[in-house]
Amino acid sequence: MEVKARPVRLTIADDLQRGRGSVFFRLWFAIPFLFWLALWGIAAFFVAIANWFATLFKGTSPQSLHGFLARFVRFAVHTYAYLYLAAEPLPGFGGRPGYPIDVEIDPPVRQNRWKVGFRLVLVVPALILLNAFIGTGGGFSGASEARTGRIGLLFAAALLGWFFALARARAPRGLRDLVAYGLSYAAQTWAYLLMLTDRYPSADPLTAIGPLPVRDDPVRLESSDDLRRNRLTVFFRLLLAIPHLIWLTLWSIVAFFAAIGNWFAILFTGTAPAGLHRFLASYVRYQLHVGAYVYLVGNPFPGFTGERGSYPIELSIAERAAQNRWTVGFRIILALPALLLGAAYGSLLLAVAVLGWFASLFTGTMPLGLRNAGALGLRYSAQLYSYLLLVTEAYPYGGPNVAPPPLTANSAFALPPRGI
Amino acid sequence: MRRLGSRLRRPTTPALLAGAALWLWAAYALWHTTASVPKGPPLSPHRFFSDSFLDSSASYERFLVIDGLLAIVALLVVLALYARRGHRLMRESAAGRVGTGMLLGMLGFGVVWFAELPFGLAAVWWQRDHGVSHQGYLEWIIEHFLGLGGTFLFVAAALAIAMGLAGPLRRWWWVAAAPIFVGLALLFTLVSPYLVPKTSPLHEPRLAEARALERKEGVEGTKFVVEDVHRFTTAPNAEATGLGPTRTVVLWNTLLGDDFSRAEVRAVLGHEIAHIAHKDPLKLAGWLALFLIPATALVELLTRRRGGLRRPEAVPLALLVLIVLQLLATPMFNLVTRRAEASADWSSLQATHEPRAARAMFRRLSTTSHGSPDPPGWTQLLYGSHPTIMQRIEMTYAWEREQRP
Repeated sequence: MEVKARPVRLTIADDLQRGRGSVFFRLWFAIPFLFWLALWGIAAFFVAIANWFATLFKGTSPQSLHGFLARFVRFAVHTYAYLYLAAEPLPGFGGRPGYPIDVEIDPPVRQNRWKVGFRLVLVVPALILLNAFIGTGGGFSGASEARTGRIGLLFAAALLGWFFALARARAPRGLRDLVAYGLSYAAQTWAYLLMLTDRYPSADPLTAIGPLPVRDDPVRLESSDDLRRNRLTVFFRLLLAIPHLIWLTLWSIVAFFAAIGNWFAILFTGTAPAGLHRFLASYVRYQLHVGAYVYLVGNPFPGFTGERGSYPIELSIAERAAQNRWTVGFRIILALPALLLGAAYGSLLLAVAVLGWFASLFTGTMPLGLRNAGALGLRYSAQLYSYLLLVTEAYPYGGPNVAPPPLTANSAFALPPRGI
Repeated sequence: MRRLGSRLRRPTTPALLAGAALWLWAAYALWHTTASVPKGPPLSPHRFFSDSFLDSSASYERFLVIDGLLAIVALLVVLALYARRGHRLMRESAAGRVGTGMLLGMLGFGVVWFAELPFGLAAVWWQRDHGVSHQGYLEWIIEHFLGLGGTFLFVAAALAIAMGLAGPLRRWWWVAAAPIFVGLALLFTLVSPYLVPKTSPLHEPRLAEARALERKEGVEGTKFVVEDVHRFTTAPNAEATGLGPTRTVVLWNTLLGDDFSRAEVRAVLGHEIAHIAHKDPLKLAGWLALFLIPATALVELLTRRRGGLRRPEAVPLALLVLIVLQLLATPMFNLVTRRAEASADWSSLQATHEPRAARAMFRRLSTTSHGSPDPPGWTQLLYGSHPTIMQRIEMTYAWEREQRP
């Protein structure tokens, strides 16, 4: 329902099939489109200024300017969807509808003049978050990010997707959806910046790309968070987390050795010993609790034991099961791609924390979109560590998803989609 | 049997009296480990300082004292309010009993930080106005905010110990907690030299002078370092810190400029080495133990109405009690440190035999830090951790008098 209600919506009609040749030369094939996009961007810049004045005086974006800028946004999405391997066919140069990864933009409606007047200031937080999505290798990339080693989600997803598609001739659903999620946010931000809508971009992964896959992963995130944030604890959040960060560091040292023991045990017996599995599962859960607290995805001060059911942002970890010895033996190597994506999710989490800090401090509430974006990053991180520490052999799922409904009714879950 | 059991559980008057007597005996013994110093003849500050300096330094210090007193009032008001309402913040915790107590403790100090912020900024403004501090306001706020992280960590650790012990030991947690706190204080003193930021080794020829003074005062193996404080102050200072193998003398680099002569720096070095020779850091831990044992017992007694320190809702009240006790004990601590400082001054003179240099150094300490050389008695009682500058100058005359045949 909410997907339809948004004035800027991403639609997906991609079948995940990829041609190896097209994938291999993707960057070269994309060059003419990027060149055309740059030229179009110059024109769009001046049109956007005209649109700003017109919207400020009339209260509505003129149809002609709106149409031109909407096509520009659409073409940008097509180009980046192609470049980042979220879609297969070459896009058209006109930004017309019909591309497998497309954007629907509502016709012009009356906009709040105050929001139009201060649009350049208001858009800054959205651009900060967008930078976390795009980062290195994207439209707003810069040398500074490369120097500091920050990596954008879209770039990481595209890089990993490139290898996968080359090997399997199809794009992995998770990475494709992750790119689509980033492009959805980018489209909303561009549309907001260019005065096509006065609806603020939402970073909510649950409503960004339409129906999400229902996955019954062995490591799932569950939320009963009500978005309320206490301003005092938000203000001091990082300092309040210091005891937890120290405890987590100490626990990490022990977990490291426990994981080595677990590795040997699984290699010999095929299954993790119950004690080690429990210990490492608690560690991963505690890490999630602390992460949720630090990044403002959760509100209350977490406990120190990683106890199940003790925190509103919770992790469901399946019981230990037999694992393939080959994947256990080469676990560190196999985890490298996931670690790359995990680092990119780290950039997103940082942006969520900074923006969420200001938002929570002023409003006493964490924006739903930011909370869910942060939860997505935390879920990925938890799955990554569960995989790395041999708690599970399920590979981390890169994109947004929902968990299946519980077998028993649980009214504690306030948000309709459970699991991110 | 029941009556006997309840008697055993309740501290009786004789036990309290015995405890108080033991406390007094320990305090008396500790007090006398520091030698008393002869007082010099009363001198007029006008002999050493200009009228204008005496006026301006008195006004400078008056502002800081009033600002400090107002900060204390704000602290007490805020902590009293927090003691009444702080327990409502328990709902912001998903941690257990101890974790929630830690959160309430940290938030209490967070609230105090907010309350004291305007007074701290006023002090910075005043110090900048008088050229004593170079620090920018934002820089000061950020530095203090980050410093609060250390406070939070300390509070969280202390509460984890106290509340952790209050689980099994109930009302008697303080009996085990006080020695642990003293042990931690000793550990902190031991590692404190490593926590001083931006230090570099003391170079020759001052290092050779320091070693010579060390020999004269009967210690060896002290580390001498220089701390760069130019960024935020022009005031000179030095400290002796560490224990045993880590004992260190830290000189602020404001001392090593052209303002202070080598003889004056020798006087400072002699003073700090004397602290080490007298084992003052260790004695301070002893005084801390003497404070903590009754203080923690009182915290337990006064928070009993809220279930004692076993329960997190008692933490805000415990903070108030502890801060009030600390404020009440400050004059006593000042008495102790003044005695130790006077004794170190005396030992420095014994080692350097340079009373004129010591006088010049005291004079310059006053002028560069804009401190009043002869503050009112009540401010000395509340804030005076060292003898007044005039008392220190007078002491150099007493030393000269003793040297005469």
